[in-house]
Amino acid sequence: MIGSSIVIKGTVTGDEDLLIEGKVEGTIDLNSNVVSVGQSGRVSADINAKIVNIEGEVTGDITGNEKVVISKSGNVRGNIVAPRVTLEDGAIFKGSIDMDPGEAAVKKVSLASDKPSGVAGSDSAATFDLKSG
Amino acid sequence: MTATQSSQLLASLFAPFESDERLTVLHIGSAVPETVEFFSRYRSKLFFVDIFSELPIQWDEESDLSLVQQFAEILSLPDDTQVDICLFWDVFNYLDSDSVAAFLSVLRPHLHSKTLAHGFGVYNLKNGQSGQYYGIESTDAIRARTRAAMLPGYAPHPQSKLKNLLDCFNFDRSVLLSDSRLEILLSTKAQSIGKSRIL
Repeated sequence: MIGSSIVIKGTVTGDEDLLIEGKVEGTIDLNSNVVSVGQSGRVSADINAKIVNIEGEVTGDITGNEKVVISKSGNVRGNIVAPRVTLEDGAIFKGSIDMDPGEAAVKKVSLASDKPSGVAGSDSAATFDLKSG
Repeated sequence: MTATQSSQLLASLFAPFESDERLTVLHIGSAVPETVEFFSRYRSKLFFVDIFSELPIQWDEESDLSLVQQFAEILSLPDDTQVDICLFWDVFNYLDSDSVAAFLSVLRPHLHSKTLAHGFGVYNLKNGQSGQYYGIESTDAIRARTRAAMLPGYAPHPQSKLKNLLDCFNFDRSVLLSDSRLEILLSTKAQSIGKSRIL
């Protein structure tokens, strides 16, 4: 754990899970482990990890080999690459999210057949096709 | 407060794409959980561009930034990005004609011949702003959330004017919603895409 009064500038590497409550600037590279940024954590670094959980602030690009979760108190500015990303209600995110859930997961669903088109709802009053010129 | 609204057009937005096709999506507005959750089932790249947080957008006399330059900064899409799906939501209700033109000039190089787009307009100009922001819940449902405060610059365009303003898109379908909003489905006009912006 990196405590709330700790400031680290540089590269963080290792082979165990990490909880950050302090400040980190640089690079965090824990490819096989879980990196958690706690509510008081302030990270200005690119993060590479198996799982990344964010409750504090992160500025930088994030790669999660398994998943990235931004909790309701999380604030992230950067680009995320992960098979799966979860954004909780209230979380703030600015950037891009690149997701690839894998072939098996993709085959389970189909964009076109997720639900049939033209499902009538109380919100719709009329439909009219417009031929564009 | 959140509410689920049915959509007759979202399914058409996704129909042309294969389930295992990689999608590049431009979502105008803040990142919302349901849009992330929806696309997490697919190979996708989402760009969240919150134009709403920059309103009102107008020529900045102090910095001398043109509208095009401002939109280029706001969008900040990588040069090689080609967008498959644009989720405009109701952003055009908050942009004047010059801003729409500037926005499209920045977006145009990122469109391709099969790009599709979804948005909201209004049928009755007297309607007040909905005060909502949106996300995709499923291919036939939209999640609407109430904004903490109303946004500045609400001045929706008549549908005929909006069609002229969105000159790189065809209006393929339009659905009149019960509160005089219009849900619209757009496709790119092949001859008007890919042109570079002039800063």
